[in-house]
Formats: sequence, C-alpha cells, structure tokens
Amino acid sequence: MPFDIVQFYADWQTILPECFLLVWACIVTMAAVFSRNSGEGTSTGTYAIWTLIGVLVTAVWVALTPDGTAFGGTFVFDRLAVLFKEIVLGGVLLTVISSIGPVDRMKLHRGEFFGLLLFSAVGMMLMVSATELLLLYIAIELSTVTLFVLAAYRKANRKSAEAGLKYVILGGISSAVLLYGVALLYGMTGSTELAGIRNGIGDLFMASGSFPPGLTMALLLLLAGFGFKLALAPFHMWAPDVYEGAPTPITAYLSVASKAAAVAAFLRVFFVGLESSQTLWVQAVAVLAALAMIVGNVTAIVQSNIKRMLAYSSVAQIGYILVGAVAVNTWGATSMTYYAMAYLFANMGAFICVIAFSNRMGSDEIDDYAALSRRSPTIAVFFSIFLLSLAGIPPTAGFLAKYYVFLAAINNGYLWLVIVGLLTSVIALYYYATVIRKMFFPLDQPEGGFPVSLPLTIALSISCLGVLLLGVFPGPFVDLAQAAAAMLMPGM
Amino acid sequence: MDTFSLAFFVLAFLIVASAIFVVSSKNIFHSAIFLILALSGVAGLFVMLHAYFLAAAQVLIYVGAISVLMIFAVMLTSRIADKEIRHTNEQVGIGLLISGGLLAVILYSLYNTPFTISDQPIAEGAGMTLGRLLLTKFVLPFEVVSVLLLAALIGAIIIARRDTKTGDSVPPRPIPLPKSLQQAKGESES
Amino acid sequence: MTVGLPHFLALSAIVFCIGVYGMLTRRNAVGVLMSIELMFNAVNITLVAFAHYITPQDVTGQVVAVFTIAVAAAEATVALAIVLLIYQHHKGIDVDNVNIMKW
Repeated sequence: MPFDIVQFYADWQTILPECFLLVWACIVTMAAVFSRNSGEGTSTGTYAIWTLIGVLVTAVWVALTPDGTAFGGTFVFDRLAVLFKEIVLGGVLLTVISSIGPVDRMKLHRGEFFGLLLFSAVGMMLMVSATELLLLYIAIELSTVTLFVLAAYRKANRKSAEAGLKYVILGGISSAVLLYGVALLYGMTGSTELAGIRNGIGDLFMASGSFPPGLTMALLLLLAGFGFKLALAPFHMWAPDVYEGAPTPITAYLSVASKAAAVAAFLRVFFVGLESSQTLWVQAVAVLAALAMIVGNVTAIVQSNIKRMLAYSSVAQIGYILVGAVAVNTWGATSMTYYAMAYLFANMGAFICVIAFSNRMGSDEIDDYAALSRRSPTIAVFFSIFLLSLAGIPPTAGFLAKYYVFLAAINNGYLWLVIVGLLTSVIALYYYATVIRKMFFPLDQPEGGFPVSLPLTIALSISCLGVLLLGVFPGPFVDLAQAAAAMLMPGM
Repeated sequence: MDTFSLAFFVLAFLIVASAIFVVSSKNIFHSAIFLILALSGVAGLFVMLHAYFLAAAQVLIYVGAISVLMIFAVMLTSRIADKEIRHTNEQVGIGLLISGGLLAVILYSLYNTPFTISDQPIAEGAGMTLGRLLLTKFVLPFEVVSVLLLAALIGAIIIARRDTKTGDSVPPRPIPLPKSLQQAKGESES
Repeated sequence: MTVGLPHFLALSAIVFCIGVYGMLTRRNAVGVLMSIELMFNAVNITLVAFAHYITPQDVTGQVVAVFTIAVAAAEATVALAIVLLIYQHHKGIDVDNVNIMKW
C-alpha cells in the first residue's frame, strides 16, 4: 500500500484536538517536574489555570472540527462524538476548578495531578470516537490506568491507597472480562470493527436462523465488562470504596466524565455493532438497570458518609440512564444522551458542594451538614438544587431527563421497568430530602459562617446554570441529543 | 496421535497444572515461579499456532518483565521466611462454585457454537503482516498504547516513590570525589 | 484425535476460570494480580487460536494479543506500585486486612 500524504493529513486532522490535549498534558507534566527541580515550585493555581486553558482550547477545537472518519473508519468524528467529548471536557473543566483546594493540600506532585487528569481525558475522548473494539479497549485502559493512579493520589492517606488497590484489581478483572467478550466476538464474526461485527452477526443469523449460544456468552461478557466500568449493580462493589477513598475531585470526575464516556461507548457498541442481536441483550440490560436502581437507591439510604451516599446514588443514576437503552432506537439514544448531559451538571455540582464543605470543615459525614444553611447559605442552596435535580424534581434537568428515558422505555413496552424506576425515585427523593432537611434545620445559630472560594463559586454557578437551563429550556439541548443519536442509526 | 496433538496436550497439562499451583500454592513466591512456567507454556502454544512474534513478545514481556516485577513485589512485601501461611480466604467453596459454574457455561456455549473454520492456507510471513498492520490499520491504537505506557510510567513513579517528611524526595547526596580528582578540580578553579 | 480450535478454546476457558477462582480466593494482593495475568493469558490463547483457525490470512487476532500484552504490562506496573504503597501503610498486603472501608 503506497503512502498517501493526503489521506495521512486527513486522518490526523480529525484527531488533532486529542493530539493537542495530549501534548498539553505532557507540557503540564514536564513543567511540574522542572519547576520542582528549580526550587520552590509553582503554585497549584498556576497549574490549574494552564490546564484550564488547554481544556478550553480543546473544547473550542472540538466544536470547530468538521465531521469525518479516519484511520480506515476505526475513528469517527460525528455529532455523537462531539457531544460526548464536550461532556467529558466539561467534566474535566469543573474537576480542575474544584481540585485547586484539595490538590493544594497535597505536598507533592501537584502539577502531575493535572497532567494525569488530562491524559485520562484524552483516553475518554478517544473512547467516544472509537468504532473498533481494539481502539476502544486501549482508550478505556488509558483512561482507567491514569485513574488508578489518581485514586491513590493522597499517598499519606490509608483510605486513598486502599481505593487505588481496589480500583486497580477490579479494573484489571473488568478489562480481562471485556477482552474475553471481544475475543469471542472476533472469533464468531472475524472482525473487531463494529461494522464488520454487525455484518458478521447478520451472517450468523442467516446461516442457522438463530443466534449461537457463543454470541450470548460474548454479549454477557461484554455487558459485565461495561457493568464494571459503569459501576452497575451487581458489578458496583468497588464504587463506594473507591469513591470514598479517592480525592473528592477525582471521585467527581470518575462518576461523571468516565461514566459519560462509557455510556457513549456503550451506545456505539450495542446500538450499532450489536443492534441486530438486540433480542439477546435487551432483557439483560433491563434487569441490570432495575438492579442498579434498586440496589443503588436502597443502599444509599443507610449511608452516613456523603461521598458513599453519592456513590450509591450514582450507581442508581446509571441504572436510570440504562432504562433508555431498552429502546434500541433513536429515541432511546436521545434520552440517554440527554440524561448524560443532565447528570454531568447535577452530579458534578453535588460533588463540588462536598468539596467546598470539606475544604472548610474537613469532614464528609452527613451529620456535619446540619444547619449548613446558617453557616454557608451558598453551599446549602446550590447543594439542594443539585440533589433535587438528581432526584428528578421539576424544573431541574433531572426531571426531564427521567421523563425522556421513561417515555422511551414505555414506548417499547417496558412498563415494569418504568414502575421500578418511579418507585425507586421515591426512595431516592427520601434520602436526598433527608440531606436537604439536615442542611436547613434546626434553625439554631451555629458557630461561625464560612465563605466559598471564588473558583468554587464559579464552578457551582456553571453547574447550576446547566441544571436550570437543561430543565427550563430543553429545546436546543434535545436537538443536540437528537442530532447525536441520529448518527447511530442513519437509516431511521 | 501426531506430534502437534502431543505437543498440545503436554503444553496444556503444563499450563493448567501450573495455573492451579499459581492460585492455590501456600507460598506466594512459589506462585510467582509457577506463573512463569504457565506463561512460558502459553508462549509454546503461540509457536504451535504460528504466532512467532507473539511467542517472542510473550517470553520477553510476560516471562522476562512482568513476572520479574511480580517476584520483586513479592520479595519487597512479604517476608518469605514466614512461608507457610494460609494464602486463601474463607471463600474457597464459593470460589469453586462460581468459577466452576462459569467454566461450564463458557464450555457449553462454545461447544454449541459453529465456528467457521477457514480452509485458506496460513499466510506466510505473519510477522511482516503484523508489523504492517500495526503501522497502517492499527496505527492509532499503536500510538495510544505508547501514551498509555507513558502515563503508567509517570503514575507508577509518583505512587511508588517514597516521600520524606519535608515534603520532597531526598536530595541526592554529593558523592565525594577521589583525592586526586579534588586536587585537579582545585587547580583548575584556581 | 486431532487437536483443533475447540481444544484451544477449552484450554483457554479452563485457564480463565482458574484465574477467576484465584481472584476470588487469594488473600495476597500480588496473588490476585497473578490471577488477573492468568485471565489475560487465557484471552490471548483464544485470540491467537481464532487468528490461526478463523482468519489465517489476516492476523488481527495476533495484533489484539500484542496490545493485550502491552496493556497488561502497564496495568501490572501501576498495580504493583499501589501494592507497595499499601505495604507502607499496612506493613502487609493481605487483601482481607485492607478494610478500613467495608467492601
């Protein structure tokens, strides 16, 4: 095959945003190393600002890059990729802003923290564009291996080290399981590209009139692998411990950006590659979604640590997103995409409130949030909005998001799943409301108020704006989600 | 039985036996040694399947690097002297049940799946094809995996590095120069 | 009896399940990591066997296996670094003792 310079340029042009972010990650890391060698070192704020500049430039670049495919179709840059890349970058942006305080308290390797964060973001950006299972696998690994390190980043803290160990073990198992599924699919279809797999599955069906059991096995292994990455019940055992032990900004990042990227990958693999075999996996997905909603919400009630509570709540939230996946059509994909956007702002905002609180009080216990409205009305009000959005109360984004996924499921005849979803939403409302009630009552005068730092206020305002905009003016956002979903099924 | 089959069964026996030792040996150091044996057996299978490059990579990376890393970790973290401690927890029964069940399910589903075995001849020069694929069709994963290795390297250094109380690593101690060199240095400075 | 694809697949499934068993029962963190390596190797056997029997003209399966090995190396490096960190905290790497937080 002769070397084709035009093709070469066209290929690399499509992934230039990722390349830029990667180079930026290297620069930040190098700067961290050199500034330490040259004496007192650079302040955390400086690193954060430079990281933010890189992220913003990438976000604009992504928005301006024209659609296209590259590398023989293994990498696509379409509306779906753009939307999820922006969600991931939004998650990184808010994470960077909110990690200034926590990172500043670490004595060491403050610059590398941001560098690794960007490496992981590159992995996620590649993940949402991959249409070939090997690239997808490598991109998933790039994002998780850096997250292993970031989870264990508070080295002096035993909990953080434990979080790292549990994450690395469960991460290793999940990639082995995922890869076994990929291997079996490859064996049956002779391809690792989603298009090839799609054709291969069609041929399998043609040959015998039914799907071979090996295909079911491969799909179950893939689902289990994705279940680990998404922290779906019953594969969620690692999530609460990792969420509690990891530095809080990383927890937020894990629960939002990495899940959003995994949702995009899920959409591509299951809605495109395995679409024709949906009879095999839709039932399993419905059961997993129901389990996640029940287990996540019920276990969240008894938690006394706010990070653990949010961890279980995010297990449940992923369950709600997957409710949309039982409708293997444009509607299902649209509702899932919209939910991912709503979830980004609400969950990120909730975690930023936790960061703002623990920056000041050094505690993550729910009981310490008592009478917060007297000490810091800002945090209390913002936190309430985010929790209400997670619970799905109008006029926040969470309400419409839940409405759309439930609608998609009902239209496909999954009434029981929607009933489970509604019942567990009531449970969820109960424990979210408990936290809110704690913050606003009792009305006695506690000792001293505390302000919220400027960066955190900005991050909170962005998230709050997002939650309210998505909830009150959903039109343009639904259009975006629809345009993204249309990429999955060009025929419909 | 032909040589191919014989080789397969010998290697399969070696791999399965050492894998069982890896997960059940009381001494974790022995586990590491058996892991090397199992991984070498897999390299042998790769040779049988005409994947020569992979066989070499398996020996170099798994047997040569990862296993040695494991042995280092074992030596650094457990006192091998207090050898015969129980290395399995109370979940042996459940573990057998789950893995046995999984095995049965996988074997059943694979046995009932018709794989279309190709009758085409095996491509000559698979190593060359592999290299070409790595730099054409799979060039993007190839680049990304290098980034992954870089990130893992940075991360591992940050995590494993021992920090001192002052907040940074120990400054390198100046190595005293030999007398003769010190004199030479002094002369050049004066 | 001629050895063919089914034999390789069966061997791979057996090794994979031995890895699963080890990961469920091992107490030592390094032991758990070894079990994970066994699982990766089982997958590699499957991949290479498929590449040999299903797509003999195309070595995609081998390419995937090369990447698996590289990723396993990266993962093992980070995992062992974290194990060392745990050791500094606990003076031991018994997974059952790593439990300030409940599982």
